[in-house]
Amino acid sequence: MNSTVKNKLVSISFVFVLAVIFLLNLICPSQDLSFSERRKLQQFPAVTFSSFLDGSWIDKFEKYSLDQFVFREEFRTLKAAVLFKLFRQKDNNGIYLINEHVFKMEYPLKERSIEKAAQKLNEIYDYYLQGMNVYYAIIPDKNYFAAAQNGYPCLDYQRLLELMNENVRNMKYVDLFNCLTLADYYRTDLHWRQDRLQPVVAQLAREMDLSPNLAARQYISVTKYPFYGAYFGQAALPLEPEELIYLTNATIEDAVVYNYDKKEYRKVYEAEKFGQIDSYDLFLSGAVALLTIENPHAQSQKELIIFRDSYGSSLAPLLLEEYQKITLIDLRYIATHKLGEFIDFKDQDVLFLYSVLILNNSEMLK
Amino acid sequence: MVFASISFLYYFLPIVFIIYYLVPQAAQNIVLLLASLVFYSYSEPVYILLMLLAILSGFLHGLVIDKFKSQKEEKYSRMAMISSVVVSISLLGFFKYADFFIANFNHVFKANISFLRLVQPIGISFYTFQILSYTIEVYRGSADVQRNFLHFALYVSLFPQLIAGPIVRYTTVASALDSRRHSWEDFAIGVRRFTIGLAKKVLLANVLGELCSAFKAVSEKTVLFYWLYAVAFTLQIYFDFSGYSDMAIGLGKFFGFHFLENFNYPYIAQSITEFWRRWHISLGTWFRDYLYIPLGGNRVSTARWLFNILLVWLVTGFWHGADWNFIIWGLFFGLLLILEKYFYHYLFAKLPPFFSHLYVLFCVIIGFVIFDAGGIYDGVSSVMGMLGLLEMPLFNQEALYYLQSYAVVLLLAIIGSTPLFNVLVRKVKSKKHGELIVNLVEPVFLLVLLLMVTAYLVDGSFNPFLYFRF
Repeated sequence: MNSTVKNKLVSISFVFVLAVIFLLNLICPSQDLSFSERRKLQQFPAVTFSSFLDGSWIDKFEKYSLDQFVFREEFRTLKAAVLFKLFRQKDNNGIYLINEHVFKMEYPLKERSIEKAAQKLNEIYDYYLQGMNVYYAIIPDKNYFAAAQNGYPCLDYQRLLELMNENVRNMKYVDLFNCLTLADYYRTDLHWRQDRLQPVVAQLAREMDLSPNLAARQYISVTKYPFYGAYFGQAALPLEPEELIYLTNATIEDAVVYNYDKKEYRKVYEAEKFGQIDSYDLFLSGAVALLTIENPHAQSQKELIIFRDSYGSSLAPLLLEEYQKITLIDLRYIATHKLGEFIDFKDQDVLFLYSVLILNNSEMLK
Repeated sequence: MVFASISFLYYFLPIVFIIYYLVPQAAQNIVLLLASLVFYSYSEPVYILLMLLAILSGFLHGLVIDKFKSQKEEKYSRMAMISSVVVSISLLGFFKYADFFIANFNHVFKANISFLRLVQPIGISFYTFQILSYTIEVYRGSADVQRNFLHFALYVSLFPQLIAGPIVRYTTVASALDSRRHSWEDFAIGVRRFTIGLAKKVLLANVLGELCSAFKAVSEKTVLFYWLYAVAFTLQIYFDFSGYSDMAIGLGKFFGFHFLENFNYPYIAQSITEFWRRWHISLGTWFRDYLYIPLGGNRVSTARWLFNILLVWLVTGFWHGADWNFIIWGLFFGLLLILEKYFYHYLFAKLPPFFSHLYVLFCVIIGFVIFDAGGIYDGVSSVMGMLGLLEMPLFNQEALYYLQSYAVVLLLAIIGSTPLFNVLVRKVKSKKHGELIVNLVEPVFLLVLLLMVTAYLVDGSFNPFLYFRF
């Protein structure tokens, strides 16, 4: 091939790529949602003179051009592959992989945030919970089990625990760090696996004076496949999906869940949510500000209130045998001062169950 | 709009290509001018009026200068040229430096003048200098006056060089404004320059920028991380700026314009003088021709020469930004040039080239750390951190992590800042069948680069909504 042919080839291939992608971008219909990012995608913005002048149309068009780019997911995969395989970088947008396990970096430790989280717990205690049996437990994020050992920056977990223990008053701490291993978490998601929570349930039972048999209860395992966790899409790499296993029995099947947001009764597990934008929403309908689970087979009148994040959704059903009613409160979606309007705080057990990720970003607690 | 964006690459550019190559040659300048105005207004919808005003001013001043020159009215011609300089510098001074002057006036005189808080018009530093070069050259008689407003407006606003240079002299493109030829060879060179520039910006500069951001975000800094940041920023600014110049040169070729080179592997320089002959060449030569030489250059007394040098470098620093750290950065290089002429030149002549190269790199790195500082204190603090004069560990796990994570990118950037790749290609070409191999590999290589850049740009939109997940 001589230089003239090469020049033509270089020129034509360049223009061809630009033109084809340009045309495909014009022709292909816009997508509404990105499953990998779990968010709505920008649609073509309406043009007005004022929106052009103030720059808002331009900003939206820039987002649109990126969000609606043809083969967007494939290009993201290409980027991840180049970054990891060619440039040998250790993380992509904070996402990193160790033995097919996907992690998202969470560091540094925001001491102020931890202190504010502790203050929030104290505030709730002072306002609603005085004289009640109150416990708090912290769920380590996946990084705890692998980051430091593999040279990735991670939180100072020791300091985190010190700060919480120094600042939280009137509550009994339940240590869950020693009950969990990396295998207890999904490979492609941030959450723990419900089918591996027996040690956690046993530890809670021990510390909260519940029946020692709670962790030994028999469940039927229901397997859902394929489960693509939140990090699966973020990693943008060709990873194997995994199984999501949930545990059920007659108590759980007959339990009645009341969703205060939607003012309707639901089931503990909503199998139809599996395969939608977030399969983990199968557990107690996903993100809900306030809900109750009532156990029609309860042997006692005991009630439990759990202040929780999404990790609590998969744990709460496993505690149901011990309680007539479990109330789950997500302070990211309901303000502390509103709780009294819905809940009669009296003699319930109370458990604050938060992941490290929430404590390190506690500004989201209302 | 920036070149390294999806909107430019896959919307603006294809549309401009289609229209430009479909219309008759006589209409191509109009297409390019309209495209340039759209390009500018996409970023600066309001300030486009300011640019048009500056263009009109430059155009009219050129006509007046030429009119008086042709009438042998040197005095009036000179006054018109000075008027052009005053108008251009005033525009630049007002929009870029007003708040700087107000802040310093307030500080010195304990006054309380309100800041104007003007958004700096994009590209104003470049297009005012281009207009100035035109009126000065017309005054000097080294350029013919442009009587076609469309052509002049196109010269100033031509989108490939509008926002970040290079500063194109009017004489460089004067003939191309009237007529120019297009060829496969030029277009292919354009593709190569543009794609490589794009890759330099997106795959290297932006990635190194992430490392610099990570450094600025960490609470516990270490000596190692200071150096990592300093080296990364030095490479980032080179690949960012030279990448942009490559893209500008490449885009120019697409449309038949030939801009001069703006960078020539500055990090292989063995003296600061040589470094500035290789770095932002269009700016260096601009200040040489329109400030340094008119001041008398080096054909003056030593004291006056020292003054000339320091003034030129003060202005050079100030041109880069309205803050004291830019002025100090400029003066730092002015001082180094003076020291080099009187002392280092003799010292390094006796040492192996390795030492002079090391000295240049050290000075350039220190210079860019000052350049990137948020202020004087920040700059001094960073330099002290690099020299281990602050109380901090030599390294920690975080610094080691970033060193490992960015090692390949840093290595590629270091190699890419030298002519090694070009030398290698030339060597391959000189072998039997080498030309054929290069001709076969080049289109594939460029295509892969383009797709990689696209992937990185597309991933820039990655914005997972995790708030509700944990």
